[in-house]
Amino acid sequence: MGTKSEGNPARHKDSFQPSSEEIESWMQKAFDMAKEALANGEVPVGCLMVYNNEVLGRGRNEVNETKNATRHAEMVALDQVLGWCCQENRDPKEVFERTVLYVTVEPCIMCAGALRLLNIPLVVYGCRNERFGGCGSVLNISADELPHTGVPFKCISGFRSEEAVELLKSFYKQENPNAPKPKVRKD
Amino acid sequence: MEPQCKRRKASESATASWEVCPVLSDELSQDTALLEAYAAPIVNKKETSRLVKELASVYPLPGLRHLKRVRACKASGSAHPLEAIVVDSRGLGEPFLVRIPACPPLTRPQFEQASRHWPTTFHEDKQGSAAGRARGLGAVGAVVVDPQSERVVATGHDCSRGDRPLCHAVMVCIDLVARGQGGGAYEFDEYAACQSSAPPPQSDGPILPPSGDVLDSGRTQTSSAPYICSGYDLYVTREPCVMCAMALVHSRIGRVFYGTGSVDGALGTNEHSCPDEERALHRALAPPGPPPRTPPSGA
Ligand SMILES: [Zn+2]
Ligand SMILES: [Zn+2]
Repeated sequence: MGTKSEGNPARHKDSFQPSSEEIESWMQKAFDMAKEALANGEVPVGCLMVYNNEVLGRGRNEVNETKNATRHAEMVALDQVLGWCCQENRDPKEVFERTVLYVTVEPCIMCAGALRLLNIPLVVYGCRNERFGGCGSVLNISADELPHTGVPFKCISGFRSEEAVELLKSFYKQENPNAPKPKVRKD
Repeated sequence: MEPQCKRRKASESATASWEVCPVLSDELSQDTALLEAYAAPIVNKKETSRLVKELASVYPLPGLRHLKRVRACKASGSAHPLEAIVVDSRGLGEPFLVRIPACPPLTRPQFEQASRHWPTTFHEDKQGSAAGRARGLGAVGAVVVDPQSERVVATGHDCSRGDRPLCHAVMVCIDLVARGQGGGAYEFDEYAACQSSAPPPQSDGPILPPSGDVLDSGRTQTSSAPYICSGYDLYVTREPCVMCAMALVHSRIGRVFYGTGSVDGALGTNEHSCPDEERALHRALAPPGPPPRTPPSGA
């Protein structure tokens, strides 16, 4: 577990950081969600958006029911926070600037872009996403110089990563034991 | 392979219902194209309405309905008060050449530019991107096309101002494609230009079997995974940002054509930042669909 990328410190006015106890307990909740998802035959990724010690977003993949391949847990959770801001008449920018994402798997490139666009300052995640990871594994969207794509964010990576990998492995094993490794091309 | 006649039918009806929303880059971003026309001074102001009426019947201007026939010329210190397009002997002086806008303006900047050449009308709310600009939205438009049937699958514009900041034009289009197939996560009813069409009944839509990658979170349990953009082309006026580019990869888009590049663009422009990572993105983009590419002309 280590701190990956230092965001531009000037951009986070007060570089607030949750205590390690807080991180541990929120990640525990994220893992509980991932296990629950697995038990229900869903992709075992747990994800929480925490603002001021309150969970404002709690996402799981909604790709199937929406037929929209971009409805990752993080995107769903971000929309929940936006919905909360709308309901409570709060400025989303102000809220997001002090909201931490806890997620069992490294956000993909798309989700990392979305997190930047909304000014999320900190992401705590479990295992790496070797295929699509946007916080260091494939691209480093979290730290790159992208002046028109929100602000960089800080990552704390590798939290209980073996466990997160095992969850994913057991999901894909149970789902399709004969999944062909080479890519299937149908033209 | 479906019979040729069926396909033609599908594309005809698609043309008819979608003509209204051209959001292709050239049309929206280009400078005003000009045509040459003869204009003449109206020396007697009282003849104006008669002249306009007769000009319209003798010399109708098909395809130039966006133009007003007459312009005032008080600022120029001219001897005559008005000028009209196209000659007529009575009441008109010597014709002279003017340059007039060739096409109706689609965006407000185009309208302002066109009006400097000749008074031009502007119907802002009828066009996708123009409508977006009118609402204070980013002037980015996108169209998803099935190149096989030449059917427009979805059109959308930026909807990111307001309470849905992630609804960039590309994300709007992806969700509209999903909506056209009975899914979708958002409502875009308030935006007339954001529309999708259901796939023709004879087709089940292009669906790929899931690939066997462990961390592909787009994977699902059923064999009919919702990679519903596979085989489709996306046309977007501005190069997609990193979120949108990856969203297109997740959605298995076939090809991406974009108009102008953008500083943070994720499909080619952003070379200055880190060439290594760009290569990595291309790697990520490469499997499992064909790599997104820009058209050779940069259209
Ligand atoms: Zn993602
Ligand atoms: Zn975008």
